[in-house]
This record gives sequence, C-alpha cells and structure tokens, in this order.
Amino acid sequence: MISEREAAKYPFLNDAVTLVETLGLTLEDLMDPGHTKVLDRAERRVAQAIINGEATSELGDTITELLSFPVGNMFITAMGEQFLFRRYALSEAVRAQGLLKDETEERLAKIARLEFGWTLRLVDESLDGRLYRFELLFKDYLRNAAGFREPEWKIVNRLMREGYVLLTRREASRLLQEEIQRRIADLVSRRRQISLPGPLGAKVESLKKFFDENRSRLTGEDLPSELMTEAFPPCIRHAFEGLMAGKRLSHMERFGLTSFLINVGMDIDEIVNLFVSVTDFDEQFTRYQIEHIAGLRGSRTKYTPPTCSTFKTHSVCYNPERLCQHIKHPLSYYRIKVRDIQREQGPESGDEAPNTQAAK
Amino acid sequence: MAEQDWGSEQYVLEHFGGFYSTGAQHVEAPTEIKQREFGFLSFGGRTMFRHIGFEDTEELRRYLRNYSPAHSYFSAAYYQEPRAPMAEKGWIGADLVFDIDADHFDLPCQKTHDRWTCKTCGEAGKGHPPERCPGCGKATFAEENWLCESCLDAAKYEAQKLLDMLIQDFGFQPSELSVNFSGNRGYHVHVRSPLAKDLDQLARREVVDYILGIGIEAEYQGLTSRQVGGGSMLGRGGWRGRTIRALYDFVGKSTPEEIKALKLGRNTTRDLIEEKDEILSSLMNQHPSRIVRYIDKKSMEKLLDAAVDEQASAIDTVVTTDLRRLIRLPNTLHGKTGWLTQNVPIEDLPDYDPLTMAVAFNEGTEKVYIKRAPEINLQGEVYGPFEEETRELPLAVAMFLLCRKSARVVR
Repeated sequence: MISEREAAKYPFLNDAVTLVETLGLTLEDLMDPGHTKVLDRAERRVAQAIINGEATSELGDTITELLSFPVGNMFITAMGEQFLFRRYALSEAVRAQGLLKDETEERLAKIARLEFGWTLRLVDESLDGRLYRFELLFKDYLRNAAGFREPEWKIVNRLMREGYVLLTRREASRLLQEEIQRRIADLVSRRRQISLPGPLGAKVESLKKFFDENRSRLTGEDLPSELMTEAFPPCIRHAFEGLMAGKRLSHMERFGLTSFLINVGMDIDEIVNLFVSVTDFDEQFTRYQIEHIAGLRGSRTKYTPPTCSTFKTHSVCYNPERLCQHIKHPLSYYRIKVRDIQREQGPESGDEAPNTQAAK
Repeated sequence: MAEQDWGSEQYVLEHFGGFYSTGAQHVEAPTEIKQREFGFLSFGGRTMFRHIGFEDTEELRRYLRNYSPAHSYFSAAYYQEPRAPMAEKGWIGADLVFDIDADHFDLPCQKTHDRWTCKTCGEAGKGHPPERCPGCGKATFAEENWLCESCLDAAKYEAQKLLDMLIQDFGFQPSELSVNFSGNRGYHVHVRSPLAKDLDQLARREVVDYILGIGIEAEYQGLTSRQVGGGSMLGRGGWRGRTIRALYDFVGKSTPEEIKALKLGRNTTRDLIEEKDEILSSLMNQHPSRIVRYIDKKSMEKLLDAAVDEQASAIDTVVTTDLRRLIRLPNTLHGKTGWLTQNVPIEDLPDYDPLTMAVAFNEGTEKVYIKRAPEINLQGEVYGPFEEETRELPLAVAMFLLCRKSARVVR
C-alpha cells in the first residue's frame, strides 16, 4: 500500500486514487467546514495553474495535499474550459516532475512500468560526459518525446540501439511528466461537466472570474483582419510564388499553403480563384477541397497549417530566416512579423491599438 | 489517330483480364484481411474505388478476376469497419510503411531517359524539370519519366539501408518486415509489429526524420566543443556510429582538391589536409569531440550534411506519415508497366532483379507503333530506343510501352 506522503506527492497514481476512494468522502462531507483547508488548497492548485502554469507542492499537510487533487480536478471539470484542461494538467505534471527527478532510479522505473506501461531497463552507462541510467523502448519514448521541439529529443540525435533509447534520470522524469500530463488531462476532460453545490460552486465561480481576467494574456492574440503577404514566412512565400508561376506543388505544400491562407483570413473564393487561375484544377473539386480544409465540410474541423517540424520533414521548409529559429509554427512567424511591420509603420496605420497584448 | 488511342487501353485491359483469370490465384491476402480497406483504379477511370472490404482471400481474388483493375491497393491501416466512410471507419492501428521511389532521386541515368517539356513555351530538356522554365519562367511541365537498371539498383540500395536501420536501430525482427518491388520504380517496406501498429502521426514523423537523418546536430553526435572522455564511436550502432564512420571515410578518401572544393573554413581546410592522419587516428581511437578543434562550426555542418546524405535512406515522407495510406497489393499488376508488384524475401533482395523476375507477360509478341521510348533492358535483352516506328516486340516489351502510353497496337 502506498504511504499517505507518497500519495500526496503523486496523487494521480492508481494507488493514490484507491487510497482516496477508501476514505469514502462525499460532496456533502467536502462542504463541511472541517474541509475548508482542502477546498482552499484545491482552489490554489487551479489558481497556480492559471497564473504560472506550475503548481507548487505543499507537503506539510499531506492529507490536505492529497484530497485537494481530486477536488481541484472537479473544479477544472466544472469550469468547462478546454484551454484549462491542458494547462491544469501541465501545471500538475510539472509539479510532480519536480519531485520525480529526485527519486531513485528504482522508484522511477517502478512508476514508469506499473503506472504507464513503459518497457524500460536500468543501465549504467557513461557517454559524452553524461550518465545514462535507463534504456526505454522507442515506442514509449516517441509517445512522449515526439512532440518536443528541442533537437536533443529527436531520436536521430539520441543513442538508440535495437529499439532502445538511452536516457539520463532527469530525462526519464521529464518523459514521465508527459505521461502524467496526459493522464490528468484525460481525467478532467472525460468527466461530464457538473454544477457544484454550495461553497464548492462558489469556488468554481470565483475561479471562473479569475480565469476570465487572465484569459487574453494566456490564450494569445488574434491576427489582423487585413491580409499581409509581406509578413508570410519564407516557406509559404516560396509555395505561394511557385503556385503563381504554375509550379505543381506537392500535397504538403498545397495543404500548407491553403490552410495558412485560410487561417490568416483570406477569403475562400479568393483562394479558389488563385488555384483555378494558375493550374488546370477543376473549380468545383478545388472548392470542395478548400472548404474541407476550412472546416465547412466533412469532419467540420478547421485545419491549422502544419508545424515547422512537419514542414521540415516534408521539405516544405525553405530558406529559414533568423526569426524561424525562434518559432515552431508558420503562423507564429506571421503573427510576429505583422506586429513588427505595424510597429514600423507607426501605431496610426495599424488597425490594432498598440499594447492590447503583452508578448508572452 | 486520336491521342486517346495511345496505350490501346482495351487491349491492355483484355490482357490484364487474361492474367488474372489464372494469376488471381497467386494473390495472397494481407494479414487481417477483414480489417483492411481495399482500393482499385480501373483502366480509363480517374477516380479510385475505395472503401472496399473483403471477408476472405477468395472474395478478393474473385474481385480481381471480375474487374481486372489497372492498379490494386490495400490499406496499411486496420479498421473496425473498413467499408465505412473515412470518418466512421474506426482506426485501430496501421503497419509502418515506407515507399522508396527512384523518381524522387537525382540520378545521372535520368539525364538519359527522362525528359520535360514546358507546357507554356514548349522548351524541352532531359532529366528532371527545372524549378522554372529557362525559356519563359513558368513552372508547368509535361514530364516523361522512364526507368532503367540503374534507377532500380539505386532504389534497392536505399531499401537495404532502410532495412539495416529498421533491424539494427529499431530492433524489428526480420520476420516482421516485408519488402515488395513496387512494380514500377521502387520498393515498399512494410513493418508489421505490435511496436509499430499504434504509433501516431507525430511518432511516425520522428521515424521518418530518423531514416532521412533530418535534424541531426553535431553536438548530439558526440562532436561537442567541450572535450569529453570516452572511446571511439566508429563501431557504435545507430546514427552515432553512422555519422562518425561517414566522417572517417570522407576525411580518409578525399584528396586535398576535393576538400578545397567543399569551400569549408580556411583553417578547417588546412587542418583537414595537414592534420589528416591525426584526425583519422583520433576518430579511430578516441571520443569524437577530440576532432572538433580542427573543424569550425559551419564546416562541421557541411561535412555532416554530406555524411548524412550518404548514410540516410531516401524514403518518401508522405507515405510513412499517412495513417490511412493505401499501398499496392503484392502479386497484382501495375498498370503503368504491366509488371508485378512482388514480394521479395529479405535474404533474396541483394540478387533480386525486377526486370527479369517481375515481368508478367512472358509469352507471345505484338506489333506496336511507338511514339518515342528510350532504351529498355527487359529479361536480359535490350530494346530500343524507339522513335516513331512500328515493331513486332515480345509481349512483355509491348505491354510495357503500351502501359506507359507511348505506343499503340497495330492491327
């Protein structure tokens, strides 16, 4: 059985969840003044997620710490904000990772195997002046690291043999953070949204208000309504100019260009005309495809352009500029460039008032 | 005669029909046939018949006998309902598949057998079309792409490099891999493994980057500016060993003139020539970080790029990352060649010659009028080049020229 302290550190573990269940707390119990501390701590967890994206551990009172986790989850579910599901999960996972990185290798391995099904071996290998303590099956590695942007996480830059990737202790705990984040995000988003009674509901209301005050800072700014071709990233410019010259674009170039143009606000008719006028594409078919990408047909998903790393894989990335080193998405390039150009032109010519957004 | 008669479609269709009347018996169903989607292209038809499902091998063979499709495909993916529309199929997983197509390579032989014509101004040339037409600056071209032993050998070499990486680096068992000649210019490699089946798109992209060597950085290949201890990496597995071996080979075999031609930094060029033995011995005996002092950062990037190019396998990026891809079904005919898509046991790959083994129409001759075709070597005999001439040719050659729409039957 897991100790109360361990459960408080890692309340998302199956053993910790079982421990909480054995306490058999009901919603009524939680509304009892005796549990004020738990509600306050749960509220703090959510607030920390909103402010910093990283919760702190408060292990002085382990039972409060433990119980406040499911209550915090409940608050998040009740708030019903998609954006917060992810951010809260990240915040809790980062907190856990801070503790995990100081655990012994054996403890890390046990959590990884039993809780997250990793195929993991302990090793002791020193290379390039780094001490590798684990070997992880590539499939488990990729599930967690494939979305990372830093070059040292690409498997091409890892030491891999016969399907196993070498990891330091810190790296293993970083990958566990991803598993934890996914588990918590699942936990809070899968449950049905509920309305909570009494003091619980009051906490949710005040947290909602708090999130609204911070919303614009967190969710990023909108793009200008006017299309600015001079702010296109080099990859999109290249595809765009190629298209104008009648070049046959690859599938990825076509999809990337179309979804980019849709997302920066070009009119669907304009995009259709663009493709039809310079290629021998059938208008009806082209329109259908473009409307599909715009989310007007089929699955109703509006597609965003692929990330820079996808463009790199498919050789759509072209002559990256200095700004490209600092971004991971073509739309970010556009967003930054638009702001730069508007700033150069002076505030009066931009259609947005300055200082509406603080850069993150 | 009208343009649409090139290829004598009806004639080819009848021969495909003749082939499948007995040949369908040799088509094996892919594993877990009930969970696979099938797709077919008919002669003359422009749309794919997709979302087709079969209960068993016999039903699949019957379809081939009844319809003699020009192209036959099955899904790399497994679905709960393969016949349902895409959004409702219920994706279970997918084999990891790789496509190697010589059409994507830059090969000297393409200069002899491929041509392009600018659709705007009529300017023409050999090999791959340029980025922009030198005549008018437009970029719409008609392409005539052919193939030869050199292209097919190049594709096979890439397939072998790929297999090495899949087995040695990723740890797949040879029994989990199957290699198919595509029936045209390349090879397909299928990985059927529980480790591959549920990889998502992001993970498959990482696999692609690994096979292509995209994103390799010197710092993470042991070529760090801060010197560290440890032994040589020459014998090491994975990219680590591959990059260091490529670097070793490159420095070892290059003449001073070749090194100068790379336009590396001045000090680097000097060191690579004057300290060559020292560098080679360091790579052989010590940690690679020992050589970083001879090579500046920019030069190292260039050297690594060249090394990676040689060691990577030139796979198509889209096929592998597409979770719902349709791939050619082995032992069916390829409508652009009249050859078979053919499974090749891994141990037979080194000696495999598609221009002998994958030829389907072995008997008889046919009289055809040929518009234009480069030299082609089929079953050990060389035919052509042809230009506006009528010839009686072995059926295999005639079918090939017809399938490429460069000839028509003369009756």
